[in-house]
Amino acid sequence: MLFSLAFRNIVKSKARSIITLLLSTVTTAFFIVYVAFTDGSHFQFIKSSVEIYTGYAHVNLNGYRDEGGYDTLIEDADRIDAILKNDASIKSYSQRFETYALLSGDEKAVGSLVAGIVPSGEKDLSKLHESLIKGAYLEDNDTNQIYIGSELAKRLKVDVGDQIAMVGSSIDYSFAADLFKVKGIFKTGLFEFDSQSAFVNKSYLDTVMLSDNMASYFTLYFHNNNTIDKMTTHLQTSLPSEVEVVNWKILLSALVQAMLVDSIFNYISISIFFLVIFFVIMIFSYVNIYTRAREIGLLRALGLSSKDIFGMLFMEIVLLTTLSIVVGTLIGASIAYYYELHPIVISGIAETYKEYGVISDEIPMNFDLFTIIWNALTIFTLNLAAIIYPISKINKLTAMEAMRYV
Amino acid sequence: MKWLISLCIFTLWLQADEAQAIIKKLEANLRGDSMYATMKMIVTSKRGQRTVEIESWSEGNTKSFIKILYPKKDQGITFLKLDTQMWQYIPKIERTIKIPPSMMLQSWMGSDFTNDDMVKESSLEEDYTATLLSQTQSTATLELIPKQNAAVVWGKIIIDVDVVNAVPLKETFYDDRMQQVRIMTFSKVELHGSHKVPMVMELKPLEANKKTNSTKIIFEKINYDAKIDASYFTKQALIRYSR
Repeated sequence: MLFSLAFRNIVKSKARSIITLLLSTVTTAFFIVYVAFTDGSHFQFIKSSVEIYTGYAHVNLNGYRDEGGYDTLIEDADRIDAILKNDASIKSYSQRFETYALLSGDEKAVGSLVAGIVPSGEKDLSKLHESLIKGAYLEDNDTNQIYIGSELAKRLKVDVGDQIAMVGSSIDYSFAADLFKVKGIFKTGLFEFDSQSAFVNKSYLDTVMLSDNMASYFTLYFHNNNTIDKMTTHLQTSLPSEVEVVNWKILLSALVQAMLVDSIFNYISISIFFLVIFFVIMIFSYVNIYTRAREIGLLRALGLSSKDIFGMLFMEIVLLTTLSIVVGTLIGASIAYYYELHPIVISGIAETYKEYGVISDEIPMNFDLFTIIWNALTIFTLNLAAIIYPISKINKLTAMEAMRYV
Repeated sequence: MKWLISLCIFTLWLQADEAQAIIKKLEANLRGDSMYATMKMIVTSKRGQRTVEIESWSEGNTKSFIKILYPKKDQGITFLKLDTQMWQYIPKIERTIKIPPSMMLQSWMGSDFTNDDMVKESSLEEDYTATLLSQTQSTATLELIPKQNAAVVWGKIIIDVDVVNAVPLKETFYDDRMQQVRIMTFSKVELHGSHKVPMVMELKPLEANKKTNSTKIIFEKINYDAKIDASYFTKQALIRYSR
């Protein structure tokens, strides 16, 4: 009977029902889109930073991240290579040898990261190849050719074709010095990286540094980078105990911290949003219910208990909210899905935020079913919670008081 | 009571004055107007041991010229230090390169010394305030705290001094958080001219990851107050004396 009464009330008071439906639908859709947008921009941010050079995971000797230097090099890179080759979860990988050396143009010398890379292997693992702005990218048979960041080129005052001297320490700590010709210049947008990084074909750098069959670390790209923790834990079991797998959450811990701070601010914004929505729904419900005071008084006089009244009004809001949540979720999820496939383009955002690793003007939304479901359930719960106070308030009136209520 | 306080202050002043006098004597003994030396530097690290043979010329605390004699791969590499600037010449690539400030904290020749150690001009007497911690007939232990505007990197230095020969025995270096960072020991004191010199110096870093590291410098020849041609302290010398 309560359900019929509730349904009749919804149909009878069309304007009131439509406004309630609209309010709840818009709120649900807006909330889903907002969360999809903020999550999407975070993921895009992380993706940019991870994919420029760092990579999703590294395999290095224990202690390499803390100590660095030549004391923690992988001394038998071929052995690790063989293990990684046989791991089905890894899509691609490559070894790198990194050192800190002095690079000198005709006028100026600058301390810089000099990394030996496998040029063909890096194409699948980093944005180095795509970031080329002048000259050419490295080839696997290159000898003394160097690929340098745009800001480093400016600091050294060199261009494609110019010569650079490199002075560093080979792994026996004797002097390692050679002359390189600038083959290409890249620009990732990360200022620090572009001003302090240079790359050489690893097989040639190994002859200069005496680092044959040695690597600072291997960089990896899994088939499923979304479950990186699971992937790295699994891979660790097949590696020797002196070698560790470290994923991007540790490699880019500063970025992860920054994202966490940003998320906290987002949650504060969302909380304010919730509070506003809660009071809007509550006030709207309060006004709605009190405009029906006479009707409620009459029902009480006809013998309905306050419990029945509560049930009837609650049923009304459950029906309206369920309908609006379903519609709102469908709208919000569709928008999130569409903009995940066709990212929003904000011209100039990459230029403005390039020092934070933003390399694209595109901001895709994040379509995630689990997130969408919890978003919808949150709005559903808010709607129900907001109606409790107005219902309990009207239920305190007697039948006579309610019928006389103006 | 006033007498007691005055006596304490007077005693402290006397001790500080004595500490400063010990440092002054030590620096006067070790520092000559000019010096020519040949030495061996033995660097021990996790990767093994490596010996470098060096020839050096210096004038006061501000000018020095260093030439690598051994190993063969590094033979002829030269370094010039003028005030706080440093250049190096690498014969293999025939380039003279000025070492930029960003490389100053990098290791010098793979040793536990940094480029900054090679160019710094700090004087224990001028840059630190010395306090006498303990003293016997032949030795003294001093605490050196940097003066307010001194351009030094250490939080403090504890130095054991052989007061008879006016040479250091051991120096313990602390960072600005007062953590021990490295220890330098001195031994085999010999008389060269009017100077008594510890012919062996050993530097041991104390960082957890460098427990097995050490750098030992063994002087083979020292000639104090040698006449050194001024041409050694020019940039042209880097190439000229490299051969």
